Amino acid sequence: MIRQTHLSSSKEAGESQRFSRRHMLTNTSAGFGMLALGGLCGGFSERLALADEVADSNGNLTGPLAPRTPHFSSQAKRVIFLCMSGGPSHLDTFDYKPQLERDHGKTGKYGGKLLKSPWQFRQHGQSGLWVSDLFSNTAKFADDLCLIRSMQCDQPVHPGAMTQMHTGTAQFIRPSIGAWTLYGLGTENQNLPGFVSLSPPPSSSRNYGSAFLPAIYGGTKVGRSERGNRFGRDREDVSIPDIKHRSLNQSQQRKQLNFIQDLNREKLKREAFQPEVEGLIESYELAFRMQSAMPEVMDLSNETQATRQMYGVDDPTTATFGKQCLLARKFVETGVRFVEVTHGNWDQHVNLKADHQARADACDKPIAALLKDLKQRDLLDDTLVIWGGEFGRTPAAQGADGRNHNNRGYTIWMAGGGVKGGFNYGATDEHGYEAVDSPCHIHDWHATVLHLLGLDHQKLTYRYAGRDFRLTDVHGNVLHEIIA
Amino acid sequence: MHFFAKIVLAGTSTLFFGPHLSAAESSQEEIAFFESKIRPVLVKECFGCHSSQSGNVRGGLRLDSQFLTRSGGSSGPAVVPGDPDASLLLSAMRHEDWEMPPRKKLSDDVIEDFRKWIEMGAPDPRVEAVAEVQGQVSDQDVARAKETFWAYQSPMMPTLPNVEQDWWPSGSIDHFVLDKLEQAGLGPAGDATDFVVLRRLCFDLVGLPPTVTLQKQFGEAWLKDPQQAVEDAVEKLLAMNQFGERWGRHWLDVARYAESTGREVNMTYPYAWRYRDYVIDAFNNDKPFNEFAREQIAGDLIPVATDEQWASNLIATTFLAIGPKNVNEQNRLQFKADLIDEQIDAVTRVFLGTSVSCARCHDHKFDAIAQQDYYSLVGIFQNAQTYFGIPPSEYGSYSFAQLRRQSSLLKLPVQDVHADDKKYSASELDDLHQQIRDVQNSLSELRRSGRSAAQGGANAQRTRLRLLNQITSLSAKLSVVDENGIPNSYCMGVQDLEGQYQDARILMRGEIDLPAQSVRRGFPRVLCLHSETVPESSSGRLEFASWVGSDRNPLTARVLVNRLWKNLFGEGLVRSTENFGVTGQSPSHPALLDYLAVQLIRSGWSMKTIIREIATSHLYRTASDFSEEAHLIDSDNTLLWQFPARQLDAESIRDSMLSVSGEIDYSRPRGSEVSKAGYQRVVGSFLGDPRELNRRAMQMAGQAVRNSNSVTASPRNFPPSRITGQSRAFSQGSRFDGIVRDQFRLAVEESLRKITSQLDMEDALCRSIYLPSVRDHEPRSLVVFDFADSSIVVGKRESSNTANQSLYLMNNSFVIERSEAFADRLSKHSSRLVDQIQYGFQLAFNRHPTFDELSKSVEFVKAWRTESKVSNRNEGLATFCQSLFASADFRYLD
Repeated sequence: MIRQTHLSSSKEAGESQRFSRRHMLTNTSAGFGMLALGGLCGGFSERLALADEVADSNGNLTGPLAPRTPHFSSQAKRVIFLCMSGGPSHLDTFDYKPQLERDHGKTGKYGGKLLKSPWQFRQHGQSGLWVSDLFSNTAKFADDLCLIRSMQCDQPVHPGAMTQMHTGTAQFIRPSIGAWTLYGLGTENQNLPGFVSLSPPPSSSRNYGSAFLPAIYGGTKVGRSERGNRFGRDREDVSIPDIKHRSLNQSQQRKQLNFIQDLNREKLKREAFQPEVEGLIESYELAFRMQSAMPEVMDLSNETQATRQMYGVDDPTTATFGKQCLLARKFVETGVRFVEVTHGNWDQHVNLKADHQARADACDKPIAALLKDLKQRDLLDDTLVIWGGEFGRTPAAQGADGRNHNNRGYTIWMAGGGVKGGFNYGATDEHGYEAVDSPCHIHDWHATVLHLLGLDHQKLTYRYAGRDFRLTDVHGNVLHEIIA
Repeated sequence: MHFFAKIVLAGTSTLFFGPHLSAAESSQEEIAFFESKIRPVLVKECFGCHSSQSGNVRGGLRLDSQFLTRSGGSSGPAVVPGDPDASLLLSAMRHEDWEMPPRKKLSDDVIEDFRKWIEMGAPDPRVEAVAEVQGQVSDQDVARAKETFWAYQSPMMPTLPNVEQDWWPSGSIDHFVLDKLEQAGLGPAGDATDFVVLRRLCFDLVGLPPTVTLQKQFGEAWLKDPQQAVEDAVEKLLAMNQFGERWGRHWLDVARYAESTGREVNMTYPYAWRYRDYVIDAFNNDKPFNEFAREQIAGDLIPVATDEQWASNLIATTFLAIGPKNVNEQNRLQFKADLIDEQIDAVTRVFLGTSVSCARCHDHKFDAIAQQDYYSLVGIFQNAQTYFGIPPSEYGSYSFAQLRRQSSLLKLPVQDVHADDKKYSASELDDLHQQIRDVQNSLSELRRSGRSAAQGGANAQRTRLRLLNQITSLSAKLSVVDENGIPNSYCMGVQDLEGQYQDARILMRGEIDLPAQSVRRGFPRVLCLHSETVPESSSGRLEFASWVGSDRNPLTARVLVNRLWKNLFGEGLVRSTENFGVTGQSPSHPALLDYLAVQLIRSGWSMKTIIREIATSHLYRTASDFSEEAHLIDSDNTLLWQFPARQLDAESIRDSMLSVSGEIDYSRPRGSEVSKAGYQRVVGSFLGDPRELNRRAMQMAGQAVRNSNSVTASPRNFPPSRITGQSRAFSQGSRFDGIVRDQFRLAVEESLRKITSQLDMEDALCRSIYLPSVRDHEPRSLVVFDFADSSIVVGKRESSNTANQSLYLMNNSFVIERSEAFADRLSKHSSRLVDQIQYGFQLAFNRHPTFDELSKSVEFVKAWRTESKVSNRNEGLATFCQSLFASADFRYLD
């Protein structure tokens, strides 16, 4: 098992002889804001200092991305969020409704004809969790899944619900849950971004953005996402901007960088105390390391044939999502805090049978592979895997073979990271219209995810425009029942 | 003279903020009628798609209560009591505008029941009692805050403090700062060197490095008299057009300027650039700030003498219209409430340094701002209509599939047509008209075959959406030109609504369906130095604007001078530049803040006067040297014992690369990329139809490959049809085809990259303020260096130092190309390497290299030339130039 942590905190690069760095820290009310890696000046640090939990107690601080002690000890250290865009039907996947089957064709509570699931549900594992045949591979890990079958959100339309799922509100522009996580915990590998969003759909940057949090907590978009790029589809070189020089090779760039650093050190020599310049020197070194670290972690060619096969990397059906799941595993393995992978389009108003089947075919095997891989690498215990869409779908049919949006009751599941496996939480009514038993609002879910990461959603605050903001606004109850 | 004149607008609007509700005034019989004839039908036929309970609110319409029914959905009120013809519910049941319930017409008896019910006033007992919201902020709290809190008291001219080192100050500012330093047992830093001061002045005032000539002049003047040298330089810089571009950009940060709505459905604002130009001109002309403020809040209402003035004032109100918007919002009342909230938030934080929007949901926890104060401002702003979209064409109003909230634009009273504006020839116009008629025909055909299409399912729906998008694009093109194809001149902005001005009702917890008592239109009480009232005959917006742009409130002048100070010293005297409230920070130099505020007012609100006074202070030319002793006493440098060194901001880095390389284009482009592209939805990071992406890329690639092959291969072997004819051209398997395929594939990749990075404008040589500013797609060259997030009011940008920035400077092609041009410039300057390097330092760092720097540089370039196998002689020099761009000296302002 490789779990490297590259902390630049241990590198006391360029310590000023006249003035100790530690001294600077303890005597600056702005705290660590001025220092090293990503060392930010001014306004940010002063705002950051207002937040509840920002600093490592050892004074061993290097910057806003340095790993931070959570509010309390917890099992989950990182997150993989498998975001199912478009609203997968809970009734055809993880919320078994025998009554819906019996009442098939009858008029539903709000009109329309009830539609039974076209897929067979079966019980799986020791726990006997009901999962439909759409996810027959994932179902093999039933004893690791914690189903929250009573999800609710406020938005019945895609963009709004998607934004609420990520930021807690569709009304205002707010930081994404990944940004909050990074802000709360920092990250373990300083050579890589702490929050990665793999091939997010176009125009979704708010869903991985930092809003008013410092930009450094925003998600880094990796890979191409522009539509219609069929020429790039069969290539594996997903990337981040400016990671490679167009003509200089590595050794030439090292020479250039040595010269840049010479100039920077000349400046340091001339002036007595320049923490920002020290920071700059460090960030060039980081960038240089990142240039090799990033392609390295994204290079799938070193994976064994067995692994590639398990994720379905070479099978056209599963290739796209399989690669992304494999990348997600590689990212968390090297210490990235939060990885999001998006898979769509689950919005089947029509052609439910064919299209839901196709969506599931593309992701079921890779998800099972991811769970298996994390398990065998001993990573599942402290990695929280989340699967879910922005809402579910109606029990009543739309046309002959479709379902409408349903934000009053749907299912999200989580695995690993300290949740109970083989566990059902909450329930919808007999047909699956609405969460009736222990409803879990998006705010409650957010509070729970943060809790699993050791963060108190009421304490993880950020002062902006004269007010302390949090992911859950003034809401949110932790679902203690689902915690193992 | 125009007085409260209205502008004739395309399209009509009947937006009012909330429906009139009647409580239990209906008779027993009427209620019985509702219960027996109406309610059961609503539950059975409508709730499936239109109720909170079912969780399904199609078209934003909910019929669960009297309030929701009368509020209606996206299209308007479902029921207008007493007016069956205006009630959309009835028209839908009659299958007029809509067909409701879908594919099933209710019996004539039922429809007649609804008509009768509406005519009798739509009695509906489903009413919750109107709540009275009891505020927690009492009148006494307000009075106490006004008496005790510094920011709520009028700024007074302070007396100049006596200082021991009385030889040091060159003006009043220095007295205030030195006084504080001496009290702490400290003194000011020594003077910085001439080149440091000049570099500071140039970047701070015009956002560009000093030219070599200016460096020389200034150096000589400095030797004679530093104070005079600075004064002369400041005068010169203040008079340059680049001053407005620099300081205008600071204003655009707080004004959350952008050229699109942002959010999930990101629609362009093709006319936002007029406001950008207005702001730049205002700074260059030193427009008095009180007028500047008034025009942005109520320019449409200010009496004017000329049409030109009126046009300019209308453009100023774009300030209220450019905020981010969720145009996908189903509920029009929610949309309007959010729009007004955004306007109030921007106005109060930008001009008054106070967050009033905090009180949208409940009284302000810390400041004495009650929910009542918030809704008294809502009353003022709700009587205006905001124009941010595109006018309807003669064919009517169409909208993109996901665009639920549309709006028109304001037509300027004077035409402003430029040679570069998009015009249509007669035949192009005919063609557009023909296209739109064709699409209209296809649409109505689709509608006629509606029944079968509904069964046909997805395809018909997809076709409909595609046609709708087509017709919207066409209509948007036609709507902005006159019948001769000449563009009409539009701007974004606001206009008061016709008719009676209405007060707003407090919304419990800010929820639009929980209205409580109504409150009189007015201003935040705690900020009123005198009693202020809004006349019945006015919306109050002009009065509010006049009050904001005056000394009748304690904050406008202070907030502004604090910002001017921040732009020159990196931090404000009040560090929380948009929050002067209890939760903000107290001023480090209260007397100085008040001095500057009063000076501003006395100067006739002249911003240049204040900037000049600060820039010519002795303090401004002190060195940024570190002092351990001072640091122990004042670690945050609040007292300014050193000049605060800081990083250059995004625009300064990009603009100075262009300036140093000698490529910069100082002319102001007409409009922007967004105005050229016109009104559209931004999907992906480029402007244009995403479905066209592949075709465009193929075309570009084909062209590129043809061009390159015309040199290396015979065109005879490479018929153009092969490359434009998509993949079938590749079916033959010859080796030559294989090479061509690879070449073509690479060319397509490169073309795709170019198209999809259109908004980065990597090839542009104009100043950064003119780059397109599409929300969520701001140019990478700016975003990477902490560009202001255009969706929020940004008084002070972050200043981060990230690996991402290093990657950009090491690898981005814009940087590499500027470095190459920089190297060319050096080669042209001299053929001797030493001279080249010295000139490079002078251009990039505005100083001569030290001996060490010079020798290391020479060594570096020479070694590169010996080791490099590349024939390009200039690579070594270009790599040296890029290193200068990447170094701390270039990126910092000492």
